[in-house]
Amino acid sequence: MKRTVAIKLKIPDNEAYTALTALRRLGLSIARLERAEIWQLDDRGNASDVAQRVERNESLFNQNKHELHVLEAERPREGEVWIEQLDARDVPVRIAGVHHARRYVGWRLFAEGHKPANRDAVRAAVEQLLCNPAIEKAVF
Amino acid sequence: MKAKVAVLVFPGTNSEIETWRICRDVGLDTDVVHWSQAATLPKYGAYVLPGGFAYEDRIRAGAISAHDPMMDYVIEGAQNGKLVLGICNGAQIVLEAGLVPGTGPVRKPTAAFTRNGPVPHFVCKHVYVKLTIAPERCAITASLKPDALIPAWAAHGEGRLAATGDHLREIVDGGHLAFVYAHADGSVDESAVPNASALGCAGLTNRDGNVLAIMPHPERDAWNYNHPDRMQGTDILAPSGGVTIFKALAEALKRA
Repeated sequence: MKRTVAIKLKIPDNEAYTALTALRRLGLSIARLERAEIWQLDDRGNASDVAQRVERNESLFNQNKHELHVLEAERPREGEVWIEQLDARDVPVRIAGVHHARRYVGWRLFAEGHKPANRDAVRAAVEQLLCNPAIEKAVF
Repeated sequence: MKAKVAVLVFPGTNSEIETWRICRDVGLDTDVVHWSQAATLPKYGAYVLPGGFAYEDRIRAGAISAHDPMMDYVIEGAQNGKLVLGICNGAQIVLEAGLVPGTGPVRKPTAAFTRNGPVPHFVCKHVYVKLTIAPERCAITASLKPDALIPAWAAHGEGRLAATGDHLREIVDGGHLAFVYAHADGSVDESAVPNASALGCAGLTNRDGNVLAIMPHPERDAWNYNHPDRMQGTDILAPSGGVTIFKALAEALKRA
């Protein structure tokens, strides 16, 4: 069973802030930017405790600075892009019940009023900054 | 008028002093220029981007720096034929800026120095790089001997050249592969490559040959005291092999 979790910082995310500043300098009208590690897991365990099992892996999750969300969809949400490094698709992780994992960096772009950014804005952010197509693939 | 050299400092650059010092020692009139002084860059005849972790490598190594206002001047200068030397993080920045290999539009990178392989660990190792192009192919290497061998220190976590097959072919066919990793005797094989870099690449140049990106640090092998094995029986303050690339830069500026 495929399950998708997002691990994001609950402390200020300097990297996201820097990326936001750079995107604005490039002329994009982005009000807010969130970053998360997206893990797509091939999981043989129970759906009910997948969050707890991931949280037990201290190299992935630090409860002092991270929060974890189990995502319902296997695809990026509106206004979101997932960036995957092309030659690091299969990542060995030790999570009970998980036999295979893929890692993405997820970026959620918001326009004014906490609305998800439109697809053109996401595409522009991907092409101008968030993805180097020589080594990465963007899914949005 | 003698051309001046700017050693650029982005937030997080950490090799500017040794880079400035070796430039000065080979006779180059050199200033360290911080990001807040970007507007002064047009007066310089050449730019050296030193190593470090500019903008903490946020997003990707060199990605944010490639869009820093300083790079507007560097890109414009490079397009007008000014010499640009990127070392380590500076090399990552010029790749992200699309200046090398320069096979695509500016700021649309076609290659990257990315996470080391086969194990994605930081590498700190003494290496040699060997010139693989005709010296005159690149203005900065023009005064080097063919097959010149230069000692340097590899000190990076993201120094592996990666690109698609088509772009790697462009790098080879276009004569962009300036330096490869080599052994001390000049022989080249996979065991000389510390990071699984594609093509054994240690350095790239652009189409016009005025921009050179080199991943290991020649400025850290610039004086004998950089080596434990040269600390005895030699003049420890004498220049070492890494100085060669900076002498070549000085020669190139004299010709420019």
